[in-house]
Amino acid sequence: MREISIVGAGLHPWGKFKDKTFIEIGTVAIENALKDGHIEWKDIQAIFSGIYIYGGNAGHLSGQYLESVFGETGVPVVNVYNACATGSAALRMAYNSIAAGEVDTALAVGVDISPEGFLSAKSDNPRQDRDVLRWRMSGMPNPVYWALECRKRMAKYGTTDEDLARVKVVLSQYGAKNPNARYKKVYTLEEVLNSLMVCDPLRLYELCATSDGAAAVILSASPGTIAKADKPVKIAATTMGSAIYGDPTIRISALSAPAKAEAPLLSESYSASRQAYEKSGIGPDDIDVLELPDNSSWHYLQYLETCGFCGEGEADRMLREGQTQIGGKLAVCPSGGFSSFGEAIGAQAVWQVVEASNQLRGRCGERQVPNARIAMTQTYGLMGNSGTTIMKV
Amino acid sequence: MEKTEVREGKVPALPDLFDWAEDGVRIRSAKCNSCGTYFFPEYHAQHRPGCSREGVEKVLLNNKGKLASYTVQHYMCPPPFKTSGNITPYGIGLVEFPEGIQIAGLIMESNLDALKIGQSVETITYTLYRNDEGQDVVTWAFRVLN
Repeated sequence: MREISIVGAGLHPWGKFKDKTFIEIGTVAIENALKDGHIEWKDIQAIFSGIYIYGGNAGHLSGQYLESVFGETGVPVVNVYNACATGSAALRMAYNSIAAGEVDTALAVGVDISPEGFLSAKSDNPRQDRDVLRWRMSGMPNPVYWALECRKRMAKYGTTDEDLARVKVVLSQYGAKNPNARYKKVYTLEEVLNSLMVCDPLRLYELCATSDGAAAVILSASPGTIAKADKPVKIAATTMGSAIYGDPTIRISALSAPAKAEAPLLSESYSASRQAYEKSGIGPDDIDVLELPDNSSWHYLQYLETCGFCGEGEADRMLREGQTQIGGKLAVCPSGGFSSFGEAIGAQAVWQVVEASNQLRGRCGERQVPNARIAMTQTYGLMGNSGTTIMKV
Repeated sequence: MEKTEVREGKVPALPDLFDWAEDGVRIRSAKCNSCGTYFFPEYHAQHRPGCSREGVEKVLLNNKGKLASYTVQHYMCPPPFKTSGNITPYGIGLVEFPEGIQIAGLIMESNLDALKIGQSVETITYTLYRNDEGQDVVTWAFRVLN
């Protein structure tokens, strides 16, 4: 297998940019990735771009639109969609395209300008789109799903309101120190506990917002390109997983789930992470930095268990003991997480890789994880799809 | 199984999801007799890997189940959810039926603070709004049994 490295990484900061287009913010991210890697546009031999679902035909052909800004070169441009794991799919395809020897240098990019408020149904045909059913029949926006699982967890493992609030307290300290974060206020436990109850048991500050943002990563196996990069980061594995039959998770868009568990909770993420451990020969104990999908405080706790960083029901204790903080056993979301950034569907998986690679490159200033050598990013996508990337220096 | 009908001036907001049976409202599901999987709605097939997918039959789930989880919403759900008035706060329950499937839906309870995992519930209908023909447009919902 060829050794493949991240040679360039770039972002457009997260926020709400009503007056900007997805093309504009995507251009900024790609330009920053090119500059970071001292790479010329003509060196990009393939482009894998996340589909921007709110952008109509243009959004579905986001890669072509972005390519035209820098100059069309005739290279393969593939647009991919896997909900919130869209960026994982783009990255994995860029990696595999290089691994197969098809090209030496490839770009993975994700861009999103989210609609205001809850993400809603995008069709009106209930027979082929469960989104229509869950909205019209039961009034179930995404946080409902997280709250239902969170309540089960509280009953089963004794997760407390304070545990859920503590997640925000910890992450807000990192977000405050990240210039690319949307939310930079530091919160106290009391402030989080006093925030609006939205989706009981989850409060306003325990749920992520929907944001706009763009992220780009350039991968290469070309020795010349790698030599020009500032501290290249090796990709140890980048995988995707789908759900496993018998997973009892009530999955976003579904209105049913098996009552008897025959597979782990969040089995799509279990699948992706176990594939990555197997392919890389790296396990949870080796990892210094973890960017997990903290869509809510429940996700933060559950993902530590799903990805095998502790046993079932042990994540709360890890959090309480400070094991998940910078300086602890495992630095979890030292970027500030979705909690400080918000979700930008097509972009967030690539963003996580940018953040994690910045940690391995020692670029994170006040929130730098000491001696960070190995990092992992984990995504969570609607309808049972997920991606894991493990990288090292 | 017959198509879902209008019953006593009530019309389902979307068809083929529940029925009025003699013992009450029952969720329409389907069962694969080859792999034993129950799925909902009946037109979104799900099977165990390797299943022949032969012998799928439509079934009505038991009218009663246990509350496996719940959440209370303190905001009004935006469209396409439609109700005649603001129903905030409203409950959502996840109910485990004896057939081995969990179903989510609105939970109608005057005291949402009294909800508890494990409570016995029954399936009912809930009127979302009244249409131009004067019919009640309903969905399935759950109610705690005392």
